[in-house]
Amino acid sequence: MKGISKAFARTPHMLTTKVGMSKKSLDPEFEDYARRFASIETATEKLLKDTKAYIDAVNNLFTHGVGFAHHFAEVFHPNPGEYNLSSKHPEAAHTIANVDAYELAMEELKSSIAPELELIESRIIGPVKELQGVLKTIRKTITKREHKLVDYDRYNNSLTKLRDKKEKSLNDEKNLFKLEQDFEVASNEYDYINTTLKQEMPRFLMQCTQFVDPLFHSFFYMQLNIFYMMLEKLSGFAEGKYDVSISGNDIATDYEAKRTDAWQTIEEMNITQRFLSTTKMVHAHRAASGQGPPSYLGRSTSATSSVTSTFSKKAPPPPPGSNFSAPPPPYSPGPSAAIPGIAKKAPPPPPPVKPKPKPAVSYVEALFDFTPQAEGDLEFRAGDRIEVVQRTDSAEDWWTGRIGDRQGVFPGNYVQ
Amino acid sequence: MSWSGFKKTVNRAGTTLLQKTGQIERTVDRDFADEETKYKAFEKECQQLQKESKGYLDAMRAMTSAQGRLADTIDVFYGAADKSSEGAMAAHAYKRGVDDLDTGVGRELDAPYRTTIMEPLGKMNAYFPVVNEHIAKRNKKMLDYDSARSRMNKLINKPSEDPTKLPRAQQEHDDAKEVFDMLNDQLISEIPQLLDLRVPFFDPSFEAMIRMQCKFAEEGYEKLSGVQRYFADNVRDDYAAGQLDAQVEGVLQEMRELTICGAQ
Repeated sequence: MKGISKAFARTPHMLTTKVGMSKKSLDPEFEDYARRFASIETATEKLLKDTKAYIDAVNNLFTHGVGFAHHFAEVFHPNPGEYNLSSKHPEAAHTIANVDAYELAMEELKSSIAPELELIESRIIGPVKELQGVLKTIRKTITKREHKLVDYDRYNNSLTKLRDKKEKSLNDEKNLFKLEQDFEVASNEYDYINTTLKQEMPRFLMQCTQFVDPLFHSFFYMQLNIFYMMLEKLSGFAEGKYDVSISGNDIATDYEAKRTDAWQTIEEMNITQRFLSTTKMVHAHRAASGQGPPSYLGRSTSATSSVTSTFSKKAPPPPPGSNFSAPPPPYSPGPSAAIPGIAKKAPPPPPPVKPKPKPAVSYVEALFDFTPQAEGDLEFRAGDRIEVVQRTDSAEDWWTGRIGDRQGVFPGNYVQ
Repeated sequence: MSWSGFKKTVNRAGTTLLQKTGQIERTVDRDFADEETKYKAFEKECQQLQKESKGYLDAMRAMTSAQGRLADTIDVFYGAADKSSEGAMAAHAYKRGVDDLDTGVGRELDAPYRTTIMEPLGKMNAYFPVVNEHIAKRNKKMLDYDSARSRMNKLINKPSEDPTKLPRAQQEHDDAKEVFDMLNDQLISEIPQLLDLRVPFFDPSFEAMIRMQCKFAEEGYEKLSGVQRYFADNVRDDYAAGQLDAQVEGVLQEMRELTICGAQ
């Protein structure tokens, strides 16, 4: 309550000083201290903030270090079904062998750093927070001085005004006496607090330096220690395994020298290319694999559709034995396979209906071994009995046959 | 979405529903499922690896820049009372040291880190959406194939009056199978390749990472340990013995005894 009534009493004066109507006392010596005190205040706040930022950064560094090591190790662990990764990639064997040890080293490093960070927490942040408390009480004292100064000024102003008044009424005389007393009190109070501050501020500022001195040294050694532990652990790990005494730029150069053609290979894979339309892909696929479209188009219903369709399978290979030096020729793209789109624009007439009631089953006997050259080919050994599903007039063509539950096409000249 | 795209989506949604209720048989391809599982795991690892690497780089920068700011602040404390003390000299040296470190790390490690760690990871992670697109396409084509097959089988089991129906269904089935097989085979053959190539692809990064980490620690240690020259001889031992903390406490106590600090 007292505080509020004081605040009300001071408000008019504060307003008039703001607009320059009444004068305000200035103490340059004190102002200087106050300025330096304010800079200490902000500095303390910053110190606290940056110390926290530093702790977070170090924490992040090691957490991410462990995370990196962990995920890197995961990438280099064999997938199910991958045996002996290092013999498959001898150039990377060194890495494969070391990823786990690296992960372990990083984990150890992280846990050994933790106490160091706790130290910063308790030995740096703790005292700085205490200092903040001290600063707060001093700030209160400074505010109190401000108030006392306002009191001093306003009594002073009123007093001068009243004294300067030429003709004083009885009331004025009474007031004058009261004001003189008030002024006396205010002036004493202000003097006391102002002098104390002026006496003690320099000492306090000195103490701030004395405070930061050991704090800085401690903090410095903690930081140094973090680097030291990092250096020790990492160079201990790299010892004899990796040459770490090269400059930053050389690291990149060396890396680029070791970069394999894996980059190129991945870049050129089909599945890493942006998707074209399926239609285009089908045609590209047919053209690339150099075969007529599988199943109905050129094969299973050979006689009709090989004539009508623009795609056809090349003549079957001649039987081996007769011409040993010439193995079955590779397939080459059908005549129009290079012009994608034709098949879609002019769809071939539907293939003839498979005869529902099957014709009398006929069998042929294989004369030679036939190794499939494309999907849909029927594999057989010489002497196998093949049930003919569909045959053409010419033996120089692909017939469809079945052995057991396997069905596929085969060259008619391989059988009799 | 185009009209035909919309129609496809609706048809496929229908197929999925029928498959869920067991009306249409679903193609099961173990080879593909195996590869996809491995691929998904790899994708996840790579994405996490990228996150960790970025975090590591950021933390390195944050650490040195926080040290730089701390040095500035400590300077302010010395500046409050006297600027020429031994402590102030040491604080200056510290400031120089950490500034050197900060710019040194930026200059010497930033670019190599990007080249050797961030770039390969970024590149690999950029492939995943493309591969995923292929997988999504394959899955759609599989649905088409499944529904075409079921339609054909139905016609075989229950021949229709219209004799052209079955051949048409058969051709649709064959078409769908061709497309599906092509996409499926491509994925089955190339995903293992991609997974296998991860080893040579990332291998050189490992050595580079270790080298850079060592470099960072070494730089930090060197730049900072030079500052010790400006300290009084006993500081190191005092620190080791915990004397410095006592000093800090002592000063705080003295501060509290000041009249302006409420000790009236």
